[in-house]
Amino acid sequence: MLELINVRKSFVQPDGDVHVLNGVDFNLPPGQSAALLGESGSGKSTLLHLVAGLDKPDSGTIFFNGQTTADFTDTNWNHLRRTQLSLVFQQFHIVPTLTVADNIQLHARLAGKVDTVFRDQLIERLGLGGLDNRLPHQLSGGQQQRVAIARALLHRPKLVLADEPTGNLDETTSLNVIALLTELTRETGSSLLMVTHSHEMARHLDSQWQLHDGSLSPVGQNQEMK
Amino acid sequence: MTTRSNAWQQFVWVLTTLLSHYRRHPGQTVFMAIGLMTGVALWTAVQLINDHARSSYADANQLLGAQAGFWIRPKDGKRDGGRDGEGVPVANYISLRRAGFDEIYPVIESRIATADGELVTIIATDLLALPIDSLAGPTGSGTPFSNDLFTGRQWLPLIQPQYQAWYPQSLASQLGVAEGDQLQLPGSKRLPPAIIQAREQQGLRIFMDVGAALSILERSSFSYLAVTKLSPNRRQLLEQQLPESLVLVENQQALDLSQLTASLHTQLTAMGLLSFAVGLFIVFNSVRFSLLVRQGTFTTLRELGVSTQVLGIAIVVETLLWSVFGTAAGIGIGYLLSGLLLPTVAASLQTLFGAIVASEIGLSKTQVLAAWALTLGGLVLALAAPMWTRARMSVLASRSPSEWWRVDERARWQLAAAAIILMVVAALLFPMMDTITDGFVVLALILFAGAFFLPMALHLAILLALSVLPSSSWQARWAVSDAFSQLPQLRIALMALLLTLTANIGVSTLVDSFRYALSDWLDVRLSADLYVRSDSLDINQLRSSTSNKSWLINSHLRSGISTRWQNRPTRIEGLDVSAPDSQAILLATQIPNGFIEWQTGSNETVQPILANEQVHYLARVELNEVVTLDTPNGPMLFRVTGFFHDYGSPYFRFYLPNRSFKSEWPAASRDGIALWIRGDNFAAAEQALINAGAEPGDWVRQRDIRRISLAIFDRTFAITSALNGLTLLVAGIALLAALLAIHQQRLPEYAHWRSLGMHFSEWFRLVAVPLLILVTVTGLLALPLGWILSWMLIHELNVTAFGWTMPMLWSWLPILQLAAVTFSVVFLAFGVAALRVRATLPTAIKQLASDS
Repeated sequence: MLELINVRKSFVQPDGDVHVLNGVDFNLPPGQSAALLGESGSGKSTLLHLVAGLDKPDSGTIFFNGQTTADFTDTNWNHLRRTQLSLVFQQFHIVPTLTVADNIQLHARLAGKVDTVFRDQLIERLGLGGLDNRLPHQLSGGQQQRVAIARALLHRPKLVLADEPTGNLDETTSLNVIALLTELTRETGSSLLMVTHSHEMARHLDSQWQLHDGSLSPVGQNQEMK
Repeated sequence: MTTRSNAWQQFVWVLTTLLSHYRRHPGQTVFMAIGLMTGVALWTAVQLINDHARSSYADANQLLGAQAGFWIRPKDGKRDGGRDGEGVPVANYISLRRAGFDEIYPVIESRIATADGELVTIIATDLLALPIDSLAGPTGSGTPFSNDLFTGRQWLPLIQPQYQAWYPQSLASQLGVAEGDQLQLPGSKRLPPAIIQAREQQGLRIFMDVGAALSILERSSFSYLAVTKLSPNRRQLLEQQLPESLVLVENQQALDLSQLTASLHTQLTAMGLLSFAVGLFIVFNSVRFSLLVRQGTFTTLRELGVSTQVLGIAIVVETLLWSVFGTAAGIGIGYLLSGLLLPTVAASLQTLFGAIVASEIGLSKTQVLAAWALTLGGLVLALAAPMWTRARMSVLASRSPSEWWRVDERARWQLAAAAIILMVVAALLFPMMDTITDGFVVLALILFAGAFFLPMALHLAILLALSVLPSSSWQARWAVSDAFSQLPQLRIALMALLLTLTANIGVSTLVDSFRYALSDWLDVRLSADLYVRSDSLDINQLRSSTSNKSWLINSHLRSGISTRWQNRPTRIEGLDVSAPDSQAILLATQIPNGFIEWQTGSNETVQPILANEQVHYLARVELNEVVTLDTPNGPMLFRVTGFFHDYGSPYFRFYLPNRSFKSEWPAASRDGIALWIRGDNFAAAEQALINAGAEPGDWVRQRDIRRISLAIFDRTFAITSALNGLTLLVAGIALLAALLAIHQQRLPEYAHWRSLGMHFSEWFRLVAVPLLILVTVTGLLALPLGWILSWMLIHELNVTAFGWTMPMLWSWLPILQLAAVTFSVVFLAFGVAALRVRATLPTAIKQLASDS
């Protein structure tokens, strides 16, 4: 599903270049989930942004579904993000002026793939029933993140990229959200790449990877993966 | 690949998502709408008035649908002063009609005083003599004058005793006349019963039948005869049939009026554009804020795979929707506003230029399209900069607050650079300024340079304040530094405020200077105590009678003719050089001993003459230059020895000593006599006037003329005050919109402050102090800009446009008043915004708790 070969990325800083990714290799099979662990500033989010096409690597190749993204134009990336990718963020990034129902359907509508039966299932599974006409600011943080997850899954993407999705939530809510996210991606057949600094959360995913000094290395694998 | 229907669906959802902002933020939506509507409305109102007035000039001298192509007037150039014996005798008219000239109809136009001392203008004609076509009512043009007058027999009471006098509504209100009232004139005379209705081109005049006017005004002559279209043959025939004393002249009134009023209309247009610019600043502010608030939404949409192009198209469609709404609503309000402002402008045009403006305003397709184009242009302009910034920013950068700080800093430097460029261009153009349009371009460059420099000036002012504050006063330092947080949002609103304050200072200095100069000039020019116009007055008896010596100190009999010179209406007047007011003529400039030379005359064949400043500036005549004037004896040469002040006059005017004048224009009519009275012997003077053949109402006291002149002046500039007030209101709304936007955006920040234990009163101080600093600096910058604007208006534009100069009167009182009004508006806006914060803060604090 997703493969990174020798990906490098550095940023220019006043006190010299900072090499955030220093030849990263990574492979995520279809339907699998992986947690990306690392300290703050280790480059976890940068890696995710490169995979989503929000930033460009200095060198190296990113393959998506066996196809290289090296020659992707903005149009290609837009199409990919609209139809095959999903992003879930720590700050939720849901549209504050749209209702819960509209927010959940937004990505699917843009992709032209609204499945109303699946939508209702997602709403029920994520405990968002009865909140259809609420606006985001009328929801708790946990509810807002669940809206973001519903939006990310409704169009059945091939890959879900989650950047610290529970960073803004308490522990119980976090565990609940992660459980739902992994369960639902499994059910939809989507792959999941999640950035987190919590080993506890990471354990819920199929594999765990550590990013340190610009290098990525596996640190664990759940039984199903072995 | 995305199918076409998918692409369309995607676009619809992007647009729906963007527009949901307005549904969820009705306050911002309202301000955006207000900004657009007020800007368009003020501009449209002024344009409607301008277009309307101009189209009225095209119909100049039209009476009840009859358009005069020619006039028949006395040959000797006598001006009809509304007195019998002047104008065209009734007998001449009758003989011409009997000779078969049905194209001719009589007109009496007379300015008379009411018993209360108000001056009103009577316009009268013979309804039955009007050409048949006009009786059927004019076609097209949507004039309010239509068949209704001549259908049925409702016009009969107008031409039958006891007659009727038709008053336009605004004049009736001004005079306090109700339907059926008979306006009292001096003595026992009264006008016919009033009917409150106005006809096309009636203007602010009272319309009545010519028979009634002849009888009430006790005259046996018409002001002039009007003639509709004439074929060359008919014209030749008519000229042959005209008595020796009369002449057929082509009606050039439309041309004259367009020429005379061009400057006023340019000034109105400039005011309208300024209002639009201020409105545009509000829109710019709203657009910028709505884009900024939706930054997260834009980025989310980009993350969901929406391309920049689709986003751009959606924003353009949103702009189109706003422009259609703004134009429709703005034109509607502008139309209503123009109806409210029209009477004031019409009064100005009539009193200043004698231009009659119809009372009903029409709206043309061109005007609607022009307003739409302007609105759309303005919106696109407002959108261009933020869109450009947004398009250049990557998805990731747009989520970064530091990137937005960088954008703001860049914008501040770019604006400062633009300000310098505009100032340099203005400085280069200044020496080449030749027309009023050039002048307004230079002014606009200076004003916008000031506005563009404002953000940098404010930034530097905050830095300066921080550098002088001791580090121990942390609260003061916090308050001052908070101005940095408010500045990006307030920038545009403060620029709008700066423009408004500058315009206010500049225009009010112009008006005050003009009023002061006019008042001074009136004191000199109207130094006599009584002004008499009477044909029956035996002036020799009045002057020579020994019994009059007890009250009469001096007198001045003036005479004059109206003519055209350099294609502009012109007055040539003969003065008694020894009269007190002649001695005190205010000369702007003269050759050495020019005035004495003019008084004593010259032995040379070319006689000295005085001319008004308008001749100098508009006809470009220099001192000592010889001018040629047409006299009954043929062209004569005169040498200009001085130019005198003639404030506000749209005409060229020449003064000659009486003896020179009489020798060239022996048949010229007398203009009236001015009398200087000993002490307050008015009763004796008035009795003597009656003994000498004058009638009550034939004279008017100096203080009444002065009062009326200043009242006319104030009425003329009422439109300026109205537009000034409206623009300040618009700027106040801009500030309120910006403050509400800032507070909404910073609400989580305020909630944090509150969670740290800050009281509302402390918050109030913390946020109000920076605003106070920013507004004060803006006001201080408006002072030099206002001074420059006044100087340009008085010393450059006024001279270019009107052809006369005046001293500039810089007064602090109106500026202090303006400052008081401004701070009141600012505090009101801040108060409203603060109340809103107070109401929404508890929810924000709860939100803060749920987020943590």
